Amino acid sequence: MIWHITKRELYDNLNSLRFALTTVLLFVLMLINAVIHVQEHPERMQKYHDATTKSLNTLRSRTDLFSIAQEGPGNLYKKPSSLYFCAEGGDIFLPDYTYGISRTQIANNLRAFWSLYYPAAFPNVFNIRPDTVKVDWGFVIGYVLSLIAILFTFDSISSERERGTLRLMLANSVPRHTVLIGKFLGALVSISIPLTLAIFMNLLVISMSRDIDLGADVWIRLCIIFIIAILYLCLFLTLGLLVSSSVRNSAVSLVILLLTWCTFVVFIPSTVALIASGFSNPMTYDEFYKRGGQNHRELRDEYFALLQETRGFREKKIQLDSEYVAKGTEQDERLSQEHLNQQIAQIQLARSVTRISPVTLIQHLLEVFVGTGFERHQQFLENVQRYAREYREFVTDMDRADPDSPHIIGVREGMSKKPISPESIPAFEDTLSLSRDFNAAAIDLFLLILFFVVLMSGTYLTFVRVEI
Amino acid sequence: MMLTTLIRRELLDNLMTFRFVVVFIITLLLVVANTSVLIKDYDRRLASYNSAVKSNHERLLESKTYSSGSWDVVRPPNLLSIFNAGLDKRLSNEIFVLHGLVPTLWDGQLHGSTNPLLNLFSSIDIVFIFEVVLSLMSLIFAYDALAGERERGTLRLVLTHPVSRGKILLAKYISAMICLLVPLLISLLLVVILLTTSTTVSLNLDDFLRIGGIVLSSIAYLSVFYLIGMLISVITHRTSTALMLAMFVWVFWVLVYPNVILVRITPAQPSEERLASAFNQIEQIWEAFDRERKDFLANDPIPGEDPHLGVAGGSGFYETWYKAKSTLLYTYIVGSYVNKLDDEFEPQVPHVQNYYRFIIPRKIDAAERTWLVRKQALESVYFRPAIVDRIFLRLSPIGMYDAATQAWAGTDLFGLRDFYEATRKYRRTVIDYLYDINAFGDRKWFSADKGAVDWNSLPQFSFQRSDVHINAKRALPDLLLLLMMNLILFMVIFWVFQRSEV
Repeated sequence: MIWHITKRELYDNLNSLRFALTTVLLFVLMLINAVIHVQEHPERMQKYHDATTKSLNTLRSRTDLFSIAQEGPGNLYKKPSSLYFCAEGGDIFLPDYTYGISRTQIANNLRAFWSLYYPAAFPNVFNIRPDTVKVDWGFVIGYVLSLIAILFTFDSISSERERGTLRLMLANSVPRHTVLIGKFLGALVSISIPLTLAIFMNLLVISMSRDIDLGADVWIRLCIIFIIAILYLCLFLTLGLLVSSSVRNSAVSLVILLLTWCTFVVFIPSTVALIASGFSNPMTYDEFYKRGGQNHRELRDEYFALLQETRGFREKKIQLDSEYVAKGTEQDERLSQEHLNQQIAQIQLARSVTRISPVTLIQHLLEVFVGTGFERHQQFLENVQRYAREYREFVTDMDRADPDSPHIIGVREGMSKKPISPESIPAFEDTLSLSRDFNAAAIDLFLLILFFVVLMSGTYLTFVRVEI
Repeated sequence: MMLTTLIRRELLDNLMTFRFVVVFIITLLLVVANTSVLIKDYDRRLASYNSAVKSNHERLLESKTYSSGSWDVVRPPNLLSIFNAGLDKRLSNEIFVLHGLVPTLWDGQLHGSTNPLLNLFSSIDIVFIFEVVLSLMSLIFAYDALAGERERGTLRLVLTHPVSRGKILLAKYISAMICLLVPLLISLLLVVILLTTSTTVSLNLDDFLRIGGIVLSSIAYLSVFYLIGMLISVITHRTSTALMLAMFVWVFWVLVYPNVILVRITPAQPSEERLASAFNQIEQIWEAFDRERKDFLANDPIPGEDPHLGVAGGSGFYETWYKAKSTLLYTYIVGSYVNKLDDEFEPQVPHVQNYYRFIIPRKIDAAERTWLVRKQALESVYFRPAIVDRIFLRLSPIGMYDAATQAWAGTDLFGLRDFYEATRKYRRTVIDYLYDINAFGDRKWFSADKGAVDWNSLPQFSFQRSDVHINAKRALPDLLLLLMMNLILFMVIFWVFQRSEV
């Protein structure tokens, strides 16, 4: 019986204007998305390759352990995702590199070792061109598809009630929930058809391009993304059915749905984020520089006070230098880390509060499986930090392996003088791991399903009780 | 007489509906919630502006010599950015005014950003709420205006009375506009009330006029969408078709068009050749300057190329060339702050004075000539594409509305350019002042050993926003476009409706 109703709905929809318009709209958007990606992605990859090669070459041009330990690995770059076209994830607002340089001059001939520094991205400060939203899958699914779902369901029950056909149908001893599920499936299938076709066309265009290699594990990710998209679609279809079955008039049902859509999809994410970010006050850049300067001065003063005490003994001075290099390095690293942590905490709070909007959920989920956006950025930062540890361990190991070295790290005289082969220096490679992705996605996925279940049961209860 | 009866009928029909109440409440809620958040945001920006001004002034007072002083100016946040943020929040807002560089938008920096990652969240303003909600509501009010009556047969009934079709259209238009204006005007009134009750905000008459301009543009925008809905309603015979067409028109104009149109009209990368040739020209200017400088040092009675003749002992002296090809930045920074001068250097002081008296005016001259080249190149590489983008955006009513309200608020490209214009003027004023007091040849230009500079008589920077009539002039083209679109749509509707069967 369900299948009967579904089929009827499907035939109704396939002949309708909205189906035609939806198909055209989705195809146009997905085509634009694919064309842009095909044009832009090779450039992006090229840029990444050039940058990493350049920084690797500088790293490998150094042969003595001291300068390797002091200058550090230079710039470390975030690898762009090959699924960038699915969700751009605000990547332009996230810095795509971090750098490690030696920042603190302790005394004339004494500099702290390199430490990680997290730059900020201000892509718009000099950009006078108008703002636009990137047309990625996230936009198509999050905004356009949700609206289409509403347009397909706002009248599915109320108009049948208006016309009296609902009463007719229920007179045929069809259980109510069958009607509901049939209608739901009908709308779902009729939107999924153009969506799937548009996605296929999009992927076809992208994979036909010679410059883009999607890779094997990408298809798993794409499948997951598709399933999430369908789940999101279901959420809005249920919302449409709920309002449609609780309101007598289709026009009123549409007004309510559109306003709900506007509020939850367009406004809540930005308004709530703005409110939530007001709760915490991360260190400003002025404070950051001020504290850095203050730390620096204190360190210098301490150092010079102790330098007096060494009274020119060479060994003591080397010991002191080594100690202060380590101190200065640690201080720099700790300060940038603290600054970064405060900033990240603010964003995380705002991100978790905006989860009341389903569009945020879908965007988070897409970002996670695509490998862009904020979660991915944190993963990159973790990779960088792990690499920094490896790099420092490499320095100590190399020094320890040399029996001629006095093993006083931090000063040239105290470290191994053996030349280092360039290939043995660890190189940074940014990686994406799928297992971590599932963890990050779990809560978003759970919330999305929860919203869907709540709405579905609400719809069921309303429809069963409603008078016809 | 007939018209008022019709209008009254329509008004009652609309005002008493549930959808009107829902629209009214949601609009009000959204606007009030966002206004209070936006005012808080404005307060924060204002506080950060004030602290930046203060710390810049302190830094200026700390510098003891003329050459080491930096006259940094900060752009105050625009109060009307609450209505339409435009470029106000994102463009550089702190500029270092140097005598060797005519400042542009690309030479500044962004102060007061606590957390740049916050840009991940899109920001909204009141005009954006109207753009989305009001256009949607106008279409919903309009789609069944005629198609619905035709379906129900009431249209035929009305037309049996001796009433012209034009009057019916007019009555429908006027009454629906009244219904739509109620939420618009009341929410704007609430915004103004919230603004006036806020302690940090003070509105003057000009601001009220600007807000009036924004209201006017909003009404014109609302009306365009209502008329689009009405046109759809007139040409379709069924309400369901009308509704779908109206919704997809909305999706196209509001969601799709503004984001898609800019994809590949103008190249994202600035033209490299134009920049390279301009940079070459600028390089030549500065190389000529440098040759002159070196010639002067070579023909000096004191041998060597050190402009300081060892006076500063290297410690308080700095000298850098700043170059950036992408923004055509090119300048030579030189300065010093000597606190104590040994007697043995005393005879050399006049030579240093002569040197600065010679090179600084030439440096200023080089900067002015650089500006002539730079202005044209930056204009064609960055400014013109931005203008072209905006022209394309204006093909949709939402683009016109956005441009008009930005112009009224003064947060558009031209409003922001006024600020950079003011910084250039300020630079000129400061240079004139320095000429007047003969600062370049002064001992205090490079050394503070005989007393520090008194900065109190330095002219202060103040930025006056453009007068309201300039805002009006900038907003007028877009406002007129909106009004013209209204007129054309109304005429088309009238023409179609006259010929249509009932």
